[in-house]
Amino acid sequence: MITVLNGGTRTTLQDDGRAGHRDKGIPTSGAADRLSFAIANFLVGNRWNMPALECALGGLHLRFEQAVTIAVSGAEMWGQINGQNFAINRALHVEKGDILTLSYARAGCRAYIAVAGGLSGETFLGSQSTYIPAGLGGIEGRAVKSGDKLSIAGAAPYGPQSLPNGYAPQLSKHIILRTRPAPEWDWLSLEGKRFLFTTPFYATDATDRMGSRLKGDKITLNHSQPMVSAPLIPGSLQIPPHGQPILIGIDGHCTGGYARALQVIQADIWLLGQIAPGSGISFRRCFAENAPKILASRHAFYNGLIPNFRF
Amino acid sequence: MTQTLPRISAYGDHALQIQYDVDGFSTAINDAVHTLAAQLKTDENWIDIITGYDSLVATFNSTALTIDSAKRKVEDTLIRTPQSASPQTQNRLIDIPVTYGGACGPDMGNICQSSGLNEQAVIEKHAAQIYRVCMMGFLPGFAFLSEVPKALHHPRHANPRAVVPAGSIGIANWQTGIYGLDSPGGWQIIGRTDQVMFDKTRKTPSLIQAGDRIRFIPQ
Repeated sequence: MITVLNGGTRTTLQDDGRAGHRDKGIPTSGAADRLSFAIANFLVGNRWNMPALECALGGLHLRFEQAVTIAVSGAEMWGQINGQNFAINRALHVEKGDILTLSYARAGCRAYIAVAGGLSGETFLGSQSTYIPAGLGGIEGRAVKSGDKLSIAGAAPYGPQSLPNGYAPQLSKHIILRTRPAPEWDWLSLEGKRFLFTTPFYATDATDRMGSRLKGDKITLNHSQPMVSAPLIPGSLQIPPHGQPILIGIDGHCTGGYARALQVIQADIWLLGQIAPGSGISFRRCFAENAPKILASRHAFYNGLIPNFRF
Repeated sequence: MTQTLPRISAYGDHALQIQYDVDGFSTAINDAVHTLAAQLKTDENWIDIITGYDSLVATFNSTALTIDSAKRKVEDTLIRTPQSASPQTQNRLIDIPVTYGGACGPDMGNICQSSGLNEQAVIEKHAAQIYRVCMMGFLPGFAFLSEVPKALHHPRHANPRAVVPAGSIGIANWQTGIYGLDSPGGWQIIGRTDQVMFDKTRKTPSLIQAGDRIRFIPQ
């Protein structure tokens, strides 16, 4: 059992999500940064997709009511156990009564706290991932708050692990996303297309698991016909008529009515989870033939360590 | 009914869009979209099959399929089966009580202005016909309905609102729809219903399903 002393900015229970229900309007959800989430689970000896806490921007205080192995991965936060700094991406043994605090993300946005055996929440459509707008999954479908008691689901299938050099993702305050064209790419003006790949954008305060409104050079459209609402997937970059792009997140809308200009390649979708308000974002072109190669090599690299992990 | 083959194009590196060319709204095209979706759903290599009014997006497991092999799969499905075979037969008629205008419909003035009608005439026109639920989506419980009368057509807000209350009835160009949850949104809001569109504790969380017919009852 773990007691939440302070829920922080926004901390939710997440697993690998409920893909396959977007036609009913149910977003994918799940860990916004699947890679860091998988690494945290790997370190404590869990299967990669067992439910863990996702803490956005810090402020989380937990008290462990039993001795257990934990690991923190993802955003570089100032993390302490009983006032002593600890390193991320490492399995840690905590005793009954130990207090973990996470504050201020120096780089990235979301930290993952995995507990050996996994945490236990409500299941909706086969997933325990929290989706706050509809109150689905997790702890009563909401962010955790002080006084919550989180139960540990069982025992971890493996013992604590360590992460070899080179496997920890390097996060920065400027995120580069590789993209392929999305269906309305050709609606963009020539300058719009050029600006998207040559000028930086910044995530505004309207940045959360649903998506991120960006600020940067105005992206204009050549196409004046109104758009009919059409399906949308996480990682799509939409261009509304006012020209400031919206990047769709893992909890993002299932359909949208703005031009879909770019789509982040699958191997880079995990980076969406590390966009914080104020983060810089640059888009890069990825050639069609390279995207599957990048994904295959990233899967091969991580699957050597974390079986069955999928970006 | 003449049936044209849709255009199949890549949507990023792990999805396809299948787009039927149609101007405005067509019941026949929406039937074709749902028929194709039902056929593709029998193949487990697809992850999400999301239907639109005149298009469909299918995401796939990229360890099993590539853009090219996924395209061939859709082409094979289109060739193999007659697209007009199984139009939706589900025809529930659901009454939705609506409070139009005022605090419930902050954009009523915009519609009155662009249509040249007074509020009462807009309400009568909007509630006069039975709509078809073409797709569910955007967010849980959001229902996209068929075409509104021509006079009521109105573009979305250029800059979407941060919060639109659950149950709001909106217009976007020729579409009308019902917001299922409090959410951001860019539609012109003309009224609100007190019906709970989405409730996770119900056996079927969504009050309405694609294929249903909707009648608005002004309160």
